[in-house]
Amino acid sequence: MITVRNSGQRYAAKYLNALLKDPLLSIAIIVSVMFVLITIVLPLVAMVGESVSESGRPLFQQYLSSPVYQTIIANTLVLGVLVGMVGTVIGFLFAFVQVKLNVPFKRAIHIIALVPVISPPFAVATAAIVLFGRNGTITRGILGVRYDIYGLDGLVLVMTLSFFTIAYLNLRGMMEALDPALDEAATNLGANKWRIFRTVTLPMLLPGLASSFLLLFVEAIADLGNPLVMGGNYEVLAARIYVTIIGLYETTGAAVLSVILLVPSLTVFLIQRYWINRISVVSVTGKPSGTPQSIDHPLVKWTLYGAVLLICGLIVLIYGTIIHGAFVQVPGVRWDWTFANFDFVINGIGSQAMRDTTTLSALATPIAGLLGMIIAYLVVRKEFWGRNALDFGTMLGIAVPGTIIGIGYILVFNTPIGIGDLTLIPKLTGGQGIFGGALAIVLVFVIRSVPAALRTGSAALSQIDPSIEEASISLGADNARTFRRITLPLIRPAFLAGLIYAFARSMTTISAIVFLTTPQTKIMTAQILNEVENGRYGNAFAYCVILIAIVMAAIGVLYFVVGAQTGAERRLEGGR
Amino acid sequence: MQQRAVRLKLENVSKSFLDRDGKGHVQAVDHISLDIYSGEFLTLLGPSGCGKTTTLRLIAGFEHPTTGRILLDGEDITGQPPNKRDMALVFQNYALFPHMTVYHNVAYGLETRQMPRPQIQAKVAEVLKLIGLEGLDKRRPNQLSGGQQQRVALARSLVMEPRILLFDEPLSNLDAKLRVQMRSEIHRLQRRLGITSIYVTHDQLEAMALSDRIVVMNQGAIEQVGTPEEIYRFPTSRFVADFIGRANFIDRVPYQLVDDDRAEISLLGRKLVVPVRFPLRAGQHVTAMLRPEALVLREDASLMQVTIDEAMYLGSEVEYVVTFDQQRLVIVQQDPRISRIFKEGQTVGLDFLAEAVHLLPDQTVV
Ligand SMILES: Nc1ncnc2c1ncn2[C@@H]1O[C@H](COP(=O)(O)OP(=O)(O)OP(=O)(O)O)[C@@H](O)[C@H]1O
Ligand SMILES: [Mg+2]
Repeated sequence: MITVRNSGQRYAAKYLNALLKDPLLSIAIIVSVMFVLITIVLPLVAMVGESVSESGRPLFQQYLSSPVYQTIIANTLVLGVLVGMVGTVIGFLFAFVQVKLNVPFKRAIHIIALVPVISPPFAVATAAIVLFGRNGTITRGILGVRYDIYGLDGLVLVMTLSFFTIAYLNLRGMMEALDPALDEAATNLGANKWRIFRTVTLPMLLPGLASSFLLLFVEAIADLGNPLVMGGNYEVLAARIYVTIIGLYETTGAAVLSVILLVPSLTVFLIQRYWINRISVVSVTGKPSGTPQSIDHPLVKWTLYGAVLLICGLIVLIYGTIIHGAFVQVPGVRWDWTFANFDFVINGIGSQAMRDTTTLSALATPIAGLLGMIIAYLVVRKEFWGRNALDFGTMLGIAVPGTIIGIGYILVFNTPIGIGDLTLIPKLTGGQGIFGGALAIVLVFVIRSVPAALRTGSAALSQIDPSIEEASISLGADNARTFRRITLPLIRPAFLAGLIYAFARSMTTISAIVFLTTPQTKIMTAQILNEVENGRYGNAFAYCVILIAIVMAAIGVLYFVVGAQTGAERRLEGGR
Repeated sequence: MQQRAVRLKLENVSKSFLDRDGKGHVQAVDHISLDIYSGEFLTLLGPSGCGKTTTLRLIAGFEHPTTGRILLDGEDITGQPPNKRDMALVFQNYALFPHMTVYHNVAYGLETRQMPRPQIQAKVAEVLKLIGLEGLDKRRPNQLSGGQQQRVALARSLVMEPRILLFDEPLSNLDAKLRVQMRSEIHRLQRRLGITSIYVTHDQLEAMALSDRIVVMNQGAIEQVGTPEEIYRFPTSRFVADFIGRANFIDRVPYQLVDDDRAEISLLGRKLVVPVRFPLRAGQHVTAMLRPEALVLREDASLMQVTIDEAMYLGSEVEYVVTFDQQRLVIVQQDPRISRIFKEGQTVGLDFLAEAVHLLPDQTVV
């Protein structure tokens, strides 16, 4: 990634010179690079190293030639492709309704579409089982059919509902950025709306559709929570990796499977990074002129709208079930009103987990948010060796499936790292790790959240004219003061988004930390998983409701603290 | 000028950038040496892409020169970071801090210097008054007109009392009328405060109006340095003559040296002796330059007769195009009220002001 230039040495000397002149900048660069190297790259390298070790290499052969594992790999890819396609279609539908149709309740539809983002991983799956499972309230109770939701169909359903928001937001941003003048030009040339859609809109959106598909594909193959709850006999790699570690204690086997899972994940990441970005014709930064034309054809309009309403209804039904299920004795079986679930969670097993998870998430959030903004600032504004590599390495934090990160952590941080007698990094994971393994969990929270903060941060930064920062420097401020007084306030909305994402992600993540929880450090999602696996859905739902409540409260607090102070974002407009 | 102290010295400064595709190099600034005197208003003038902005950014410290040194009051500042240089840069797009009020924009630099609060308030109030922005100190940049934003940008730099004020095309975002108004404002302020200023523009009128000296740049190098009058009247190259104002070139004019610095030429049917401002080698031709206002059309049968191809009435002047000896000449006649206005197709006599003839090396021969 590091671009070595013709006169590399001279430039190297020059950069070095410039870095030495601004120690704070050099510290920021060194700290960021070290952080990415130790917390992201090192575990990955260790995991790959383990997989190609003496004991690992034969396993590749064994797994890849075994029909069982071949089926698992095929299952994983099929699931990824299906979720990618269905999710992209639904995301597109929602985006289309928002941007192109003139229909009521658009705001409500938008909010409903956002709900899945802040929900814990098992909420949707469990509710779906209650509603549509073998004894489902709807399938058995209303329709009177015995439907087996476990397996591919159920997985596609719950994963699509959980992840389509990504596609929706992605496509919506793109469709809003499409210059309506293009539509108008095409209309002027005599094209009808369908033809415009086919010949102008769709080709322009193609990179967006492709990128949505890929994002969903990666989410789907990396997901652990849903396959554990919903998979049934349909086994996928992530779940197999989990079983290999938790059930069989086979770290090397898990590492080998992880590398196999890593191949499609990284391939998609590389396609995203180096191909999709290149073919994107829509500049999301451009200010569109004119107003987008809405589609009036009643059949088209109401069919699409109806479909979206139907999906919204399903989402409402599922979240209604979660909330309702939290207050009944045995969801799906005994619908008697009770507070026992909450009592069990709040005053029983969950009290420590709630405290631990919230504390650790709250610790990780500002670190992730700030680190994301700093790396964004370095990557967008500064020139230094390894700039691209820093961006790439940071993004790996989310490009790599969480299970793999977790295994990497076990491999690297289970023993102290040092030279001779000098301990550089103490044991981080497990109950005997420092802070009862809490530091490792915080680090994982951070590396899973920094990429999103980095992306929003760099998008925001590239919209701000660098001369504003240069003006500050020209007036005598150094880089640190400029970042604090000028840059950070100007990218405050991105910062806020990064913080919210970090907190929600940390609170709801399961795959990356499932191997890292310890008796000393309890994590809510891991406990929810436990409740679900033991069929105690009421407790699980109560847990989910509490978790969602904590996330919503935190978002409120973040808005209040970060958003309200100066609201620089609103004043950006005329200041240029 | 010469007795004044040198404030800023550029010694053999160049800057090359890597190409966008990372292959070759762009020589944005090509071995420039230049002295800027204390209190002077110096303009860097040249066509787009000639390296003006890069030169300015080298001076400000935002770029690091590939070769050469930069000295401020005799001290080598080549390696000094931009925030340590006692200069203030006024940006083309103003670069105001959008999240701060006018007051805080102007106070920003002083706060950075950790000046006591009351002193900051006094200084900000003073400079806002000086620049005609009293009462606007609580506004934000997006509540100001373009001209007002420009003033804030200027105030923000002025309040720092820098050793050098740097301007990068500060007026190019304003409409034509406002531009003229701000131009005289900057002129007034600079003369009053006597701050050494380096001003980048590609607008030659702006350069002429403001500058003590103009540096004409072309392709990263300096073409000519001089007062506006020197640059306008005695350009040393065809490029400068063409870039500053408009010029008629009459090529391949035969000449004979009278003495070291005068030559006799025959031009448009007249023989005359004119000063030579560059070394001439015998046997060469020269190019004669005549500004459009140095040519005169008169109904006089004793003169060379030309036919008017185009006549354009522009209010304060009339512009004619005639063809003489297969050469297109542009003639501007000032004050059309007094002289007669000729019509297209009319044949009239062509004359010129002998003292306005300027000789250039003949660039038509290789
Ligand atoms: N950061 C950079 N990287 C690569 N090339 C650059 C960079 N900055 C400037 N250049 C190149 O250097 C040359 C001089 O640019 P510069 O901005 O100094 O011109 P200018 O005289 O200010 O032009 P304008 O009047 O258009 O502002 C141009 O060819 C430009 O493309
Ligand atoms: Mg420029």
